[in-house]
Amino acid sequence: MKEPLLRLEEVSKHFGGLYAVNRVNLDINSGGIWGLVGPNGSGKSTLFKTILGLHKADEGSIFFGNRSIANLVPHQIYALGLVNTFQVPRLFHTLSVLDNMMVAGRGHQGDSLINSLFFRKNWQKQEVELADRAMEILELLEIDNLVGSPAGELSGGQRKLLEIGKGLMASPTLLFLDEPAAGVNPKLGRKIFEKIGDLCRKGLCCFIIEHRLELLFDFAHWVYVMDKGQIIIKGTPEEVVKNPSFYQVYLGD
Amino acid sequence: MDPLVYLLDFIVFIGIFSILSLSLNLEFGFAGLANFGKVAFVLVGAYSYYILSEIGVPFYLCLILCALSSAIVGFLVSLPTLKLREDYLAIVVLSFGEILKLIVKSEGWIAGGVWGTPVSPAITIDGVSSRVDALVNIGLVYFCLSICLIMAHFLMNSPYGRVIRAIREDEIAAEALGKNRARYRAQIFALGSAMAGLGGGLYAQYIQFIDPYMFVPMLTFTVWIMVLVGGPGNNWGAILGAGLVTFFDRGANIAKDYLTLPIDPSNLQYIIYGVLIILVLLYRPQGLVKESHVKTKALDRVSHERTTVEIRRS
Repeated sequence: MKEPLLRLEEVSKHFGGLYAVNRVNLDINSGGIWGLVGPNGSGKSTLFKTILGLHKADEGSIFFGNRSIANLVPHQIYALGLVNTFQVPRLFHTLSVLDNMMVAGRGHQGDSLINSLFFRKNWQKQEVELADRAMEILELLEIDNLVGSPAGELSGGQRKLLEIGKGLMASPTLLFLDEPAAGVNPKLGRKIFEKIGDLCRKGLCCFIIEHRLELLFDFAHWVYVMDKGQIIIKGTPEEVVKNPSFYQVYLGD
Repeated sequence: MDPLVYLLDFIVFIGIFSILSLSLNLEFGFAGLANFGKVAFVLVGAYSYYILSEIGVPFYLCLILCALSSAIVGFLVSLPTLKLREDYLAIVVLSFGEILKLIVKSEGWIAGGVWGTPVSPAITIDGVSSRVDALVNIGLVYFCLSICLIMAHFLMNSPYGRVIRAIREDEIAAEALGKNRARYRAQIFALGSAMAGLGGGLYAQYIQFIDPYMFVPMLTFTVWIMVLVGGPGNNWGAILGAGLVTFFDRGANIAKDYLTLPIDPSNLQYIIYGVLIILVLLYRPQGLVKESHVKTKALDRVSHERTTVEIRRS
Protein backbone atom coordinates (compact mmCIF):
# COMPACT_ATOMS: atom_id res chain seq x y z
CA MET A 1 0.00 0.00 0.00
CA LYS A 2 1.11 3.55 -0.68
CA GLU A 3 2.73 5.43 2.18
CA PRO A 4 0.44 8.28 3.35
CA LEU A 5 1.71 11.84 2.95
CA LEU A 6 0.36 12.93 6.31
CA ARG A 7 -0.65 10.66 9.13
CA LEU A 8 -2.17 11.58 12.47
CA GLU A 9 -2.22 9.03 15.25
CA GLU A 10 -4.37 9.62 18.32
CA VAL A 11 -3.79 13.37 18.24
CA SER A 12 -5.38 15.36 21.05
CA LYS A 13 -5.38 19.04 21.90
CA HIS A 14 -7.17 20.40 24.91
CA PHE A 15 -7.62 23.87 26.28
CA GLY A 16 -8.14 23.43 30.00
CA GLY A 17 -10.80 20.77 30.29
CA LEU A 18 -12.11 21.20 26.77
CA TYR A 19 -10.93 18.63 24.28
CA ALA A 20 -10.95 20.65 21.05
CA VAL A 21 -9.31 17.74 19.24
CA ASN A 22 -9.83 14.33 20.77
CA ARG A 23 -7.81 11.28 19.67
CA VAL A 24 -7.95 11.98 15.98
CA ASN A 25 -6.59 9.49 13.47
CA LEU A 26 -6.43 10.40 9.84
CA ASP A 27 -4.39 9.83 6.70
CA ILE A 28 -3.85 12.12 3.76
CA ASN A 29 -2.39 10.47 0.69
CA SER A 30 -0.67 12.48 -1.99
CA GLY A 31 -2.67 14.27 -4.65
CA GLY A 32 -6.18 15.60 -4.80
CA ILE A 33 -8.51 17.51 -2.55
CA TRP A 34 -9.26 16.23 0.92
CA GLY A 35 -12.18 17.76 2.74
CA LEU A 36 -12.84 18.36 6.41
CA VAL A 37 -16.33 19.37 7.46
CA GLY A 38 -18.20 19.64 10.71
CA PRO A 39 -20.34 21.98 12.77
CA ASN A 40 -18.87 25.19 14.18
CA GLY A 41 -16.67 24.54 17.16
CA SER A 42 -16.08 20.92 16.25
CA GLY A 43 -12.31 21.43 16.25
CA LYS A 44 -11.52 21.64 12.53
CA SER A 45 -9.41 24.79 12.68
CA THR A 46 -7.74 23.63 15.89
CA LEU A 47 -6.82 20.40 14.15
CA PHE A 48 -5.23 22.38 11.31
CA LYS A 49 -3.33 24.57 13.72
CA THR A 50 -2.13 21.54 15.65
CA ILE A 51 -0.79 19.88 12.51
CA LEU A 52 0.96 23.08 11.47
CA GLY A 53 2.69 23.71 14.77
CA LEU A 54 0.69 26.79 15.75
CA HIS A 55 -0.66 24.73 18.62
CA LYS A 56 1.37 21.99 20.20
CA ALA A 57 -0.39 18.63 20.30
CA ASP A 58 -0.96 17.41 23.86
CA GLU A 59 -0.96 13.77 22.86
CA GLY A 60 -0.42 11.65 19.80
CA SER A 61 1.96 11.77 16.88
CA ILE A 62 1.92 13.48 13.53
CA PHE A 63 3.98 12.15 10.65
CA PHE A 64 4.77 13.84 7.36
CA GLY A 65 6.23 11.16 5.16
CA ASN A 66 8.28 9.21 7.67
CA ARG A 67 9.15 12.20 9.75
CA SER A 68 7.50 13.10 13.04
CA ILE A 69 6.52 16.77 12.94
CA ALA A 70 4.65 17.05 16.23
CA ASN A 71 7.51 18.94 17.89
CA LEU A 72 8.48 21.25 15.06
CA VAL A 73 7.82 25.00 15.03
CA PRO A 74 5.80 26.58 12.18
CA HIS A 75 8.74 27.74 10.06
CA GLN A 76 10.27 24.26 10.10
CA ILE A 77 6.95 22.77 9.07
CA TYR A 78 6.73 25.26 6.20
CA ALA A 79 10.20 24.17 5.12
CA LEU A 80 8.94 20.60 4.73
CA GLY A 81 6.23 21.75 2.32
CA LEU A 82 3.15 22.01 4.52
CA VAL A 83 1.70 25.45 4.01
CA ASN A 84 -0.99 27.11 6.04
CA THR A 85 -3.58 29.67 5.08
CA PHE A 86 -5.51 31.34 7.85
CA GLN A 87 -9.28 31.29 8.14
CA VAL A 88 -9.29 34.98 8.96
CA PRO A 89 -6.65 36.30 6.53
CA ARG A 90 -3.45 37.41 8.21
CA LEU A 91 -1.88 39.77 5.74
CA PHE A 92 0.98 42.21 6.05
CA HIS A 93 -1.19 45.29 5.98
CA THR A 94 1.20 48.06 5.03
CA LEU A 95 2.98 45.93 2.44
CA SER A 96 1.69 45.89 -1.12
CA VAL A 97 -0.18 42.89 -2.51
CA LEU A 98 2.91 42.01 -4.52
CA ASP A 99 5.16 42.12 -1.45
CA ASN A 100 2.70 39.98 0.47
CA MET A 101 3.06 37.39 -2.28
CA MET A 102 6.83 37.74 -2.47
CA VAL A 103 7.26 37.12 1.27
CA ALA A 104 5.56 33.77 0.76
CA GLY A 105 8.01 32.76 -2.01
CA ARG A 106 9.96 29.65 -1.18
CA GLY A 107 13.75 29.46 -0.98
CA HIS A 108 14.47 33.07 -1.87
CA GLN A 109 18.24 33.66 -1.62
CA GLY A 110 17.64 37.31 -0.78
CA ASP A 111 15.85 36.43 2.43
CA SER A 112 19.20 36.11 4.16
CA LEU A 113 20.94 39.15 5.62
CA ILE A 114 24.32 38.53 4.02
CA ASN A 115 22.89 37.88 0.55
CA SER A 116 20.60 40.88 0.65
CA LEU A 117 23.40 43.19 1.66
CA PHE A 118 26.48 41.95 -0.15
CA PHE A 119 25.50 39.51 -2.89
CA ARG A 120 22.72 41.38 -4.58
CA LYS A 121 23.43 39.78 -7.96
CA ASN A 122 22.68 36.33 -6.56
CA TRP A 123 18.99 36.92 -6.10
CA GLN A 124 18.02 39.54 -8.66
CA LYS A 125 17.07 36.91 -11.23
CA GLN A 126 15.15 34.90 -8.66
CA GLU A 127 13.35 38.05 -7.58
CA VAL A 128 12.09 38.62 -11.12
CA GLU A 129 11.06 34.99 -11.51
CA LEU A 130 9.15 35.08 -8.25
CA ALA A 131 7.47 38.33 -9.27
CA ASP A 132 6.31 36.69 -12.51
CA ARG A 133 5.00 33.74 -10.56
CA ALA A 134 3.21 36.05 -8.14
CA MET A 135 1.57 37.84 -11.07
CA GLU A 136 0.43 34.53 -12.56
CA ILE A 137 -1.22 33.54 -9.30
CA LEU A 138 -2.78 36.97 -8.83
CA GLU A 139 -4.19 36.80 -12.36
CA LEU A 140 -5.58 33.38 -11.57
CA LEU A 141 -7.33 34.80 -8.52
CA GLU A 142 -8.38 37.91 -10.46
CA ILE A 143 -6.76 40.39 -8.12
CA ASP A 144 -3.83 41.28 -10.37
CA ASN A 145 -5.18 44.82 -10.79
CA LEU A 146 -4.50 45.41 -7.08
CA VAL A 147 -0.85 44.42 -7.24
CA GLY A 148 0.48 47.76 -5.97
CA SER A 149 -2.12 48.52 -3.30
CA PRO A 150 -1.37 48.00 0.36
CA ALA A 151 -2.98 44.79 1.57
CA GLY A 152 -4.72 46.73 4.35
CA GLU A 153 -6.87 48.52 1.77
CA LEU A 154 -8.33 45.33 0.31
CA SER A 155 -11.94 44.30 0.84
CA GLY A 156 -12.79 41.21 2.87
CA GLY A 157 -13.15 38.95 -0.16
CA GLN A 158 -9.97 40.24 -1.77
CA ARG A 159 -8.09 39.57 1.45
CA LYS A 160 -9.35 36.01 1.38
CA LEU A 161 -8.10 35.63 -2.18
CA LEU A 162 -4.71 37.08 -1.31
CA GLU A 163 -4.42 34.69 1.63
CA ILE A 164 -5.02 31.79 -0.77
CA GLY A 165 -2.56 33.38 -3.19
CA LYS A 166 0.12 33.44 -0.49
CA GLY A 167 -0.54 29.76 0.13
CA LEU A 168 -0.12 28.90 -3.55
CA MET A 169 2.96 31.12 -3.84
CA ALA A 170 4.71 29.04 -1.19
CA SER A 171 4.91 26.04 -3.62
CA PRO A 172 3.29 23.67 -1.12
CA THR A 173 3.37 19.90 -1.17
CA LEU A 174 0.33 19.89 1.06
CA LEU A 175 -1.74 23.06 1.26
CA PHE A 176 -4.14 23.71 4.12
CA LEU A 177 -7.10 25.89 3.20
CA ASP A 178 -9.45 27.02 5.93
CA GLU A 179 -12.76 27.98 4.27
CA PRO A 180 -11.34 29.30 0.98
CA ALA A 181 -14.79 30.06 -0.46
CA ALA A 182 -16.21 31.84 2.59
CA GLY A 183 -16.94 35.50 1.92
CA VAL A 184 -16.22 35.14 -1.79
CA ASN A 185 -18.98 35.47 -4.38
CA PRO A 186 -20.43 32.12 -5.55
CA LYS A 187 -19.02 32.35 -9.07
CA LEU A 188 -15.50 33.10 -7.87
CA GLY A 189 -15.83 30.50 -5.12
CA ARG A 190 -16.41 27.83 -7.72
CA LYS A 191 -13.61 29.22 -9.82
CA ILE A 192 -11.20 28.99 -6.89
CA PHE A 193 -12.14 25.36 -6.41
CA GLU A 194 -11.72 24.70 -10.15
CA LYS A 195 -8.24 26.24 -10.07
CA ILE A 196 -7.29 24.28 -6.99
CA GLY A 197 -8.68 21.17 -8.65
CA ASP A 198 -6.49 21.83 -11.71
CA LEU A 199 -3.41 22.27 -9.55
CA CYS A 200 -4.25 19.12 -7.63
CA ARG A 201 -4.37 17.11 -10.84
CA LYS A 202 -0.81 18.31 -11.42
CA GLY A 203 0.32 16.86 -8.11
CA LEU A 204 -0.65 19.40 -5.44
CA CYS A 205 -2.42 18.03 -2.42
CA CYS A 206 -4.99 20.14 -0.56
CA PHE A 207 -6.68 19.67 2.77
CA ILE A 208 -9.71 21.94 2.86
CA ILE A 209 -12.19 22.99 5.52
CA GLU A 210 -15.33 24.30 3.84
CA HIS A 211 -18.94 24.83 4.82
CA ARG A 212 -20.13 25.20 1.24
CA LEU A 213 -20.69 21.53 0.66
CA GLU A 214 -21.99 21.85 -2.90
CA LEU A 215 -18.53 23.09 -3.81
CA LEU A 216 -16.44 20.85 -1.64
CA PHE A 217 -18.33 17.67 -2.51
CA ASP A 218 -17.98 18.38 -6.23
CA PHE A 219 -14.21 18.52 -5.99
CA ALA A 220 -13.07 16.53 -2.96
CA HIS A 221 -12.43 12.84 -3.39
CA TRP A 222 -12.34 12.04 0.32
CA VAL A 223 -14.07 13.75 3.21
CA TYR A 224 -13.61 13.61 6.97
CA VAL A 225 -16.49 14.75 9.16
CA MET A 226 -15.66 16.05 12.61
CA ASP A 227 -17.91 16.51 15.60
CA LYS A 228 -16.94 17.43 19.16
CA GLY A 229 -13.26 17.00 18.44
CA GLN A 230 -13.54 13.56 16.88
CA ILE A 231 -13.65 12.20 13.36
CA ILE A 232 -17.06 10.56 13.14
CA ILE A 233 -17.40 9.78 9.46
CA LYS A 234 -14.90 9.33 6.65
CA GLY A 235 -15.35 8.38 3.05
CA THR A 236 -16.01 9.65 -0.43
CA PRO A 237 -18.52 12.51 -0.70
CA GLU A 238 -21.19 10.06 -1.95
CA GLU A 239 -20.70 7.80 1.05
CA VAL A 240 -20.75 10.72 3.48
CA VAL A 241 -23.95 12.13 2.04
CA LYS A 242 -25.65 8.75 2.46
CA ASN A 243 -24.64 8.49 6.12
CA PRO A 244 -27.56 9.33 8.42
CA SER A 245 -25.42 10.66 11.28
CA PHE A 246 -23.98 13.25 8.88
CA TYR A 247 -27.44 14.81 8.72
CA GLN A 248 -27.82 14.58 12.45
CA VAL A 249 -24.65 16.44 13.39
CA TYR A 250 -24.19 18.78 10.48
CA LEU A 251 -27.09 19.46 8.17
CA GLY A 252 -30.04 19.00 10.52
CA ASP A 253 -33.24 17.39 9.34
CA MET B 1 32.04 81.70 21.14
CA ASP B 2 32.52 81.86 17.42
CA PRO B 3 29.05 81.63 15.74
CA LEU B 4 30.43 79.59 12.84
CA VAL B 5 31.68 76.97 15.29
CA TYR B 6 28.16 76.83 16.69
CA LEU B 7 26.87 76.04 13.23
CA LEU B 8 29.53 73.43 12.54
CA ASP B 9 28.92 71.88 15.96
CA PHE B 10 25.22 71.76 15.09
CA ILE B 11 26.01 69.92 11.85
CA VAL B 12 28.20 67.38 13.66
CA PHE B 13 25.40 66.70 16.14
CA ILE B 14 22.86 66.20 13.36
CA GLY B 15 25.22 63.62 11.86
CA ILE B 16 25.73 61.71 15.11
CA PHE B 17 22.05 61.76 16.00
CA SER B 18 21.11 60.75 12.46
CA ILE B 19 23.18 57.58 12.94
CA LEU B 20 21.34 56.90 16.21
CA SER B 21 17.91 57.56 14.75
CA LEU B 22 18.74 55.42 11.68
CA SER B 23 19.59 52.60 14.05
CA LEU B 24 16.36 52.99 16.03
CA ASN B 25 14.45 53.29 12.79
CA LEU B 26 15.90 49.96 11.69
CA GLU B 27 14.75 48.34 14.92
CA PHE B 28 11.47 50.12 15.56
CA GLY B 29 10.46 51.58 12.21
CA PHE B 30 11.12 48.50 10.11
CA ALA B 31 11.21 45.58 12.53
CA GLY B 32 8.80 46.88 15.17
CA LEU B 33 11.20 46.25 18.04
CA ALA B 34 10.61 48.84 20.76
CA ASN B 35 14.16 49.46 21.90
CA PHE B 36 13.83 51.73 24.92
CA GLY B 37 17.43 51.05 25.84
CA LYS B 38 19.16 52.70 22.89
CA VAL B 39 21.37 54.62 25.32
CA ALA B 40 22.87 51.35 26.59
CA PHE B 41 24.37 50.62 23.19
CA VAL B 42 25.56 54.20 22.76
CA LEU B 43 27.26 53.80 26.12
CA VAL B 44 28.91 50.55 25.08
CA GLY B 45 30.20 52.30 21.96
CA ALA B 46 31.48 55.34 23.82
CA TYR B 47 33.23 53.38 26.56
CA SER B 48 34.69 50.89 24.06
CA TYR B 49 36.08 53.82 22.13
CA TYR B 50 37.70 55.20 25.26
CA ILE B 51 39.20 51.87 26.34
CA LEU B 52 40.48 51.02 22.87
CA SER B 53 41.96 54.44 22.20
CA GLU B 54 43.73 54.30 25.57
CA ILE B 55 45.59 51.15 24.57
CA GLY B 56 46.63 52.78 21.34
CA VAL B 57 44.34 51.28 18.73
CA PRO B 58 44.08 53.56 15.65
CA PHE B 59 40.81 55.49 15.48
CA TYR B 60 39.28 53.74 12.45
CA LEU B 61 39.80 50.35 14.11
CA CYS B 62 38.37 51.82 17.32
CA LEU B 63 35.20 52.85 15.53
CA ILE B 64 34.82 49.47 13.82
CA LEU B 65 35.35 47.69 17.14
CA CYS B 66 32.87 50.04 18.86
CA ALA B 67 30.24 48.90 16.39
CA LEU B 68 31.28 45.28 16.79
CA SER B 69 31.29 45.24 20.59
CA SER B 70 27.94 46.97 20.69
CA ALA B 71 26.55 44.47 18.18
CA ILE B 72 27.71 41.58 20.34
CA VAL B 73 26.15 43.14 23.45
CA GLY B 74 22.98 43.81 21.46
CA PHE B 75 22.85 40.23 20.26
CA LEU B 76 23.31 38.86 23.78
CA VAL B 77 20.63 41.13 25.21
CA SER B 78 18.28 40.18 22.41
CA LEU B 79 18.52 36.44 23.07
CA PRO B 80 16.33 36.26 26.19
CA THR B 81 14.06 39.14 25.20
CA LEU B 82 13.10 38.62 21.57
CA LYS B 83 10.54 35.97 22.32
CA LEU B 84 8.84 38.32 24.77
CA ARG B 85 6.04 40.61 23.76
CA GLU B 86 7.00 44.07 22.55
CA ASP B 87 6.28 45.86 25.85
CA TYR B 88 8.40 43.41 27.84
CA LEU B 89 11.29 43.87 25.44
CA ALA B 90 11.01 47.61 26.01
CA ILE B 91 11.16 47.24 29.79
CA VAL B 92 14.07 44.79 29.70
CA VAL B 93 16.30 46.95 27.50
CA LEU B 94 15.34 50.10 29.42
CA SER B 95 16.55 48.56 32.66
CA PHE B 96 19.58 47.10 30.90
CA GLY B 97 20.63 50.66 30.04
CA GLU B 98 20.27 51.73 33.67
CA ILE B 99 22.26 48.72 34.86
CA LEU B 100 25.10 49.49 32.46
CA LYS B 101 25.10 53.12 33.59
CA LEU B 102 25.32 52.03 37.23
CA ILE B 103 28.17 49.67 36.44
CA VAL B 104 30.35 52.30 34.77
CA LYS B 105 29.39 54.74 37.53
CA SER B 106 30.47 52.54 40.42
CA GLU B 107 33.40 50.76 38.79
CA GLY B 108 35.88 53.61 38.85
CA TRP B 109 38.67 51.56 37.27
CA ILE B 110 36.81 51.30 33.95
CA ALA B 111 36.71 54.97 33.05
CA GLY B 112 36.89 57.20 36.07
CA GLY B 113 33.52 56.25 37.54
CA VAL B 114 31.30 59.20 38.45
CA TRP B 115 34.03 61.69 37.58
CA GLY B 116 34.17 60.64 33.98
CA THR B 117 37.28 60.70 31.89
CA PRO B 118 38.71 62.68 28.98
CA VAL B 119 38.74 60.91 25.62
CA SER B 120 41.27 61.64 22.92
CA PRO B 121 39.80 62.85 19.64
CA ALA B 122 39.98 60.59 16.60
CA ILE B 123 41.94 62.93 14.38
CA THR B 124 44.22 65.55 15.91
CA ILE B 125 45.95 68.08 13.71
CA ASP B 126 48.36 70.36 15.53
CA GLY B 127 47.92 74.09 15.47
CA VAL B 128 44.57 74.37 13.70
CA SER B 129 41.59 76.40 14.78
CA SER B 130 38.47 74.89 16.31
CA ARG B 131 36.71 75.60 12.99
CA VAL B 132 38.98 73.20 11.14
CA ASP B 133 38.63 70.69 13.94
CA ALA B 134 34.87 70.80 13.57
CA LEU B 135 35.19 70.43 9.79
CA VAL B 136 37.36 67.32 10.21
CA ASN B 137 34.72 65.89 12.53
CA ILE B 138 31.99 66.68 10.03
CA GLY B 139 33.92 64.69 7.43
CA LEU B 140 34.36 61.72 9.74
CA VAL B 141 30.78 61.70 11.07
CA TYR B 142 29.15 62.11 7.67
CA PHE B 143 31.35 59.41 6.17
CA CYS B 144 30.08 57.00 8.86
CA LEU B 145 26.53 58.27 8.40
CA SER B 146 26.61 57.61 4.67
CA ILE B 147 27.81 54.04 5.26
CA CYS B 148 24.92 53.48 7.70
CA LEU B 149 22.42 55.11 5.37
CA ILE B 150 23.51 53.13 2.32
CA MET B 151 23.40 49.92 4.32
CA ALA B 152 19.96 50.66 5.76
CA HIS B 153 18.63 51.73 2.38
CA PHE B 154 19.81 48.67 0.47
CA LEU B 155 18.87 46.27 3.22
CA MET B 156 15.35 47.57 3.61
CA ASN B 157 14.76 47.61 -0.13
CA SER B 158 15.66 43.97 -0.53
CA PRO B 159 13.86 40.68 0.10
CA TYR B 160 15.37 40.76 3.58
CA GLY B 161 13.78 44.13 4.31
CA ARG B 162 10.49 42.79 3.01
CA VAL B 163 10.63 39.89 5.45
CA ILE B 164 11.56 42.24 8.31
CA ARG B 165 8.57 44.45 7.54
CA ALA B 166 6.34 41.39 7.23
CA ILE B 167 7.40 40.21 10.69
CA ARG B 168 6.55 43.66 12.03
CA GLU B 169 3.08 43.43 10.50
CA ASP B 170 2.19 39.93 11.63
CA GLU B 171 4.83 37.72 13.19
CA ILE B 172 2.64 34.60 13.31
CA ALA B 173 1.81 34.84 9.62
CA ALA B 174 5.48 35.41 8.77
CA GLU B 175 6.48 32.42 10.88
CA ALA B 176 3.85 30.32 9.09
CA LEU B 177 5.52 31.33 5.81
CA GLY B 178 8.81 29.87 6.96
CA LYS B 179 10.50 32.93 8.39
CA ASN B 180 12.40 32.30 11.59
CA ARG B 181 11.36 35.46 13.40
CA ALA B 182 13.71 35.03 16.36
CA ARG B 183 16.71 34.91 14.01
CA TYR B 184 15.59 37.90 11.94
CA ARG B 185 14.95 39.95 15.04
CA ALA B 186 18.29 39.06 16.62
CA GLN B 187 20.06 40.13 13.41
CA ILE B 188 18.24 43.45 13.26
CA PHE B 189 18.86 44.06 16.94
CA ALA B 190 22.57 43.39 16.50
CA LEU B 191 22.72 45.60 13.43
CA GLY B 192 20.87 48.45 15.14
CA SER B 193 23.13 48.13 18.16
CA ALA B 194 26.20 48.23 15.93
CA MET B 195 25.06 51.55 14.48
CA ALA B 196 24.30 52.88 17.96
CA GLY B 197 27.76 51.80 19.10
CA LEU B 198 29.35 53.59 16.16
CA GLY B 199 27.35 56.69 17.06
CA GLY B 200 28.52 56.36 20.67
CA GLY B 201 32.16 56.15 19.62
CA LEU B 202 31.84 59.20 17.40
CA TYR B 203 30.08 61.07 20.19
CA ALA B 204 32.78 60.25 22.75
CA GLN B 205 35.66 61.34 20.54
CA TYR B 206 33.86 64.54 19.49
CA ILE B 207 32.89 65.67 23.01
CA GLN B 208 36.32 64.39 24.15
CA PHE B 209 34.86 63.46 27.50
CA ILE B 210 32.58 60.76 28.85
CA ASP B 211 30.83 60.33 32.16
CA PRO B 212 27.89 58.11 33.16
CA TYR B 213 25.47 61.06 33.38
CA MET B 214 25.66 61.61 29.64
CA PHE B 215 23.93 58.27 29.14
CA VAL B 216 20.58 58.85 30.79
CA PRO B 217 17.27 57.50 29.43
CA MET B 218 16.48 60.99 28.12
CA LEU B 219 18.96 60.31 25.32
CA THR B 220 16.96 57.24 24.31
CA PHE B 221 13.75 59.25 24.27
CA THR B 222 15.34 62.03 22.26
CA VAL B 223 16.18 59.46 19.59
CA TRP B 224 12.63 58.10 19.84
CA ILE B 225 11.20 61.57 19.22
CA MET B 226 13.42 61.86 16.14
CA VAL B 227 12.11 58.61 14.69
CA LEU B 228 8.45 59.22 15.58
CA VAL B 229 8.45 62.74 14.21
CA GLY B 230 10.49 61.97 11.11
CA GLY B 231 8.53 58.89 10.12
CA PRO B 232 9.12 55.34 11.32
CA GLY B 233 9.99 53.06 8.43
CA ASN B 234 11.66 55.73 6.33
CA ASN B 235 15.40 56.35 6.52
CA TRP B 236 15.14 59.90 5.20
CA GLY B 237 12.43 60.56 7.76
CA ALA B 238 14.75 59.41 10.52
CA ILE B 239 17.42 61.86 9.33
CA LEU B 240 14.88 64.67 9.01
CA GLY B 241 13.68 63.94 12.55
CA ALA B 242 17.26 63.99 13.81
CA GLY B 243 17.77 67.36 12.12
CA LEU B 244 14.60 68.88 13.57
CA VAL B 245 15.13 67.69 17.12
CA THR B 246 18.82 68.65 17.10
CA PHE B 247 17.79 72.05 15.81
CA PHE B 248 15.56 72.60 18.84
CA ASP B 249 18.16 71.14 21.19
CA ARG B 250 21.11 73.16 19.92
CA GLY B 251 18.90 76.16 19.20
CA ALA B 252 17.95 76.28 22.84
CA ASN B 253 21.63 76.33 23.82
CA ILE B 254 22.40 79.12 21.37
CA ALA B 255 19.38 81.10 22.54
CA LYS B 256 20.57 80.67 26.10
CA ASP B 257 23.98 82.10 25.26
CA TYR B 258 22.93 84.98 23.05
CA LEU B 259 19.49 86.08 24.23
CA THR B 260 18.23 87.23 27.58
CA LEU B 261 14.95 85.42 28.08
CA PRO B 262 12.74 85.34 31.17
CA ILE B 263 12.78 81.54 31.10
CA ASP B 264 15.55 79.05 30.49
CA PRO B 265 15.25 77.94 26.83
CA SER B 266 16.71 74.52 27.58
CA ASN B 267 13.66 73.83 29.73
CA LEU B 268 11.44 75.22 27.02
CA GLN B 269 12.75 72.63 24.58
CA TYR B 270 11.16 69.79 26.56
CA ILE B 271 7.82 71.54 26.21
CA ILE B 272 8.47 71.88 22.48
CA TYR B 273 9.32 68.16 22.24
CA GLY B 274 6.08 67.29 24.02
CA VAL B 275 3.94 69.49 21.81
CA LEU B 276 5.74 68.27 18.69
CA ILE B 277 5.15 64.62 19.49
CA ILE B 278 1.48 65.16 20.37
CA LEU B 279 0.87 67.11 17.18
CA VAL B 280 2.61 64.57 14.98
CA LEU B 281 0.89 61.56 16.58
CA LEU B 282 -2.51 63.27 16.33
CA TYR B 283 -2.36 64.68 12.85
CA ARG B 284 0.29 62.65 11.08
CA PRO B 285 0.79 59.35 12.91
CA GLN B 286 2.90 57.97 10.06
CA GLY B 287 5.47 60.75 10.70
CA LEU B 288 6.52 63.60 8.46
CA VAL B 289 7.86 61.27 5.77
CA LYS B 290 5.74 58.22 4.97
CA GLU B 291 7.10 54.69 4.67
CA SER B 292 7.70 53.83 1.03
CA HIS B 293 7.22 50.57 -0.82
CA VAL B 294 9.94 47.93 -0.85
CA LYS B 295 11.81 48.88 -3.99
CA THR B 296 13.23 45.82 -5.67
CA LYS B 297 13.32 44.54 -9.21
CA ALA B 298 10.01 42.78 -8.55
CA LEU B 299 8.25 46.13 -8.39
CA ASP B 300 9.83 47.38 -11.66
CA ARG B 301 8.98 44.10 -13.29
CA VAL B 302 5.34 44.23 -12.33
CA SER B 303 4.82 47.91 -13.09
CA HIS B 304 6.47 47.34 -16.47
CA GLU B 305 4.19 44.39 -17.14
CA ARG B 306 1.16 46.36 -16.11
CA THR B 307 1.91 49.17 -18.52
CA THR B 308 2.43 46.73 -21.39
CA VAL B 309 -0.83 44.98 -20.56
CA GLU B 310 -2.64 48.30 -20.48
CA ILE B 311 -1.17 49.28 -23.84
CA ARG B 312 -2.24 45.98 -25.32
CA ARG B 313 -5.75 46.42 -23.99
CA SER B 314 -6.22 49.95 -25.28
